[in-house]
Amino acid sequence: MGDLAQALANLEEKKVYELIDQKIAEGVNPLDIIKECNDGMIRVGEQFSEGKYFISQLIFSAEILKQVMKKLEPLLAGIQTGGPAGGKVVIGTVKGDIHDIGKNIVITLLKGSGFDVIDLGVDVPPEKFVQTVKESGAKVLGLSALLNFTYPMMKEVVEAVKAAGLGDQVKIIVGGTPVNEQVREYAGADYYAKDAVAGVNMCKEIYS
Amino acid sequence: MSEDLKKLFEERLGRYHAAISLEPHDRIPIATGSNYFAEVYSGDTKQETIDDPEKWLQAEIKFCQDFPEVDVLRNNRIYGPLYDALDVKTYRLPGRDLDPNTQFQFVEQDYMKEDEYDDLINDPPGFMIDIWLPRILGELGNRGTGRSYVAMLKAGFAQMMMGGVMRNRGMVLEQQCGMPQPMAGFFLAPFDALADAMRGMTGAFLDMFRQPDKVLAACDVLVQEMAHTALTLADPLKRYPIFVPTHKAIFMSPEQFDTFYWPSFKKVMEILIESGHSIRAYLEGDWGPHWHHLREMPKGRVLCDIDSQGDIFKAKKDLEGYQCVAGGVQDSMLILGTTDQVRVHVRELCERAGKGGGYIISAGCNFPYDTKPENFRAMIDAVMEYGWHDKTIKAKPKSAPPSSKAEALKPRRVLTPWEVKKGELGQITGDENLIKKNWEQLEAMAHTFMWQWTL
Repeated sequence: MGDLAQALANLEEKKVYELIDQKIAEGVNPLDIIKECNDGMIRVGEQFSEGKYFISQLIFSAEILKQVMKKLEPLLAGIQTGGPAGGKVVIGTVKGDIHDIGKNIVITLLKGSGFDVIDLGVDVPPEKFVQTVKESGAKVLGLSALLNFTYPMMKEVVEAVKAAGLGDQVKIIVGGTPVNEQVREYAGADYYAKDAVAGVNMCKEIYS
Repeated sequence: MSEDLKKLFEERLGRYHAAISLEPHDRIPIATGSNYFAEVYSGDTKQETIDDPEKWLQAEIKFCQDFPEVDVLRNNRIYGPLYDALDVKTYRLPGRDLDPNTQFQFVEQDYMKEDEYDDLINDPPGFMIDIWLPRILGELGNRGTGRSYVAMLKAGFAQMMMGGVMRNRGMVLEQQCGMPQPMAGFFLAPFDALADAMRGMTGAFLDMFRQPDKVLAACDVLVQEMAHTALTLADPLKRYPIFVPTHKAIFMSPEQFDTFYWPSFKKVMEILIESGHSIRAYLEGDWGPHWHHLREMPKGRVLCDIDSQGDIFKAKKDLEGYQCVAGGVQDSMLILGTTDQVRVHVRELCERAGKGGGYIISAGCNFPYDTKPENFRAMIDAVMEYGWHDKTIKAKPKSAPPSSKAEALKPRRVLTPWEVKKGELGQITGDENLIKKNWEQLEAMAHTFMWQWTL
């Protein structure tokens, strides 16, 4: 792992920015810089899985990455990025629930792993999920929730996706505080993600 | 109040008190903190619960009649008219911003900015009234307008109306149903006060990395504000514990928790306990890495609500002999399970977590709105079958523990202390204390009103 990836994995904010400035000055290809940052973010996720990092560290890593991207953005203008290497993931918090912290952490980690994420935001009605899955051709749909009255809404989304004939195209992952295996079974979803990293790993598995 | 109801009230409260203080009692109390299920069981919408106190009270009376085995029933938190009068930005409410049958929801944002710590630290009341409150109370944001003055006046009246609703409801439930309350008054852990409605979670966590000294200084200041707020709102008879919902601890590493969360939280709790109160702490999420700290508190004074994500059996083991734990019934089980599943589940809780007392049956810090009534009944029946410790014990309500003036509690910082007013008056021709006492009481009430919006 390079210095930059290591500094990011260690959450050494100032060092990350110094290394970025240095690499920019040296004329390193911004796409290579991004790739190294992604390696660092993957290490952050691993440390979360190992119980060494907590959500606070995931949030801080996301913030550092955001600042890095701000520095790189001007350099990326005109460069053909070829789009994210990974597949498309549609994600949103189900109708009735307006919480997004958990969903946003998942999105950061997904982007860090190269996925093309379509974020539908919060309070998303079933038809919006269906329409986006259909139009994007995504193979993964993530449903997020914080409140336990959303169980029937998750079920409704799953049923709407199936009714639209998209059952073979897309796998549905449910996650969030009130969700467990019993809820997954009730909703008829394909997977239950215990935490953000588990969700990202499921996306990788589905696209592998 | 009839003798029978008085006896029933004392039997329930005695059982609840004994469980909390780890003393012998007859059976596991059925005593959740927040009972959302009771609010909607009789068919009221979620809007009616917050906007129509009479309907809400009738719903609770019906609940008490249909589930007489329940030991406590809580007060409502949100009184819609007060939120409307002020245009409170931190909540979306059913029937106004949400469907009438959707639960109220907190809206977290960085209402305080990263460079405003010194304002909070150096002058807490000034920060509240000049900087923070105008951002979360829309009507106060129209500063200087006639509308904003009237809005604050209306809010004062609404607050009094809410106090009246709560008092009446407490009396009706006590005298007509023999029903005590699980808690009265509230506060937040200082880090949560900062990280919920002030900086927001992302803001507070970034500050923890980038300006840790400011975060710690702010938490120190908030110890005093939270303690004063809690003491003003607490049950003067000290029958009911003071409620503290915790929010951000579960997102922190043990090191961060030990540095930024626990010391100031502990200080507030120590002040309240020294003042003769007990505490009911809702440990939201999985507090497994942190709850061992509750062993540092005086025994039997902090009832710990274990959330659905936490392991109730581990909590019981870790806190046994130190604090009572409540919880264990999975929210999803009450909402989605069958009566047979609930029965097996609750039996296991009674036999394992309930063994030896110091345990209260509850779900993840509350009974959910969407609990199936037949599952609620199955849960109660299972407790009545498997939840007995010793039927011969008749625990009496405990009298308030000895209290002293907590030394760590400093005089409250207020916008217009009596000395300032006295200076303006120049000369007092009569009994100064008579004027001073009322001046200070109103000042304290106004400041509690301001700080309550951190929740």
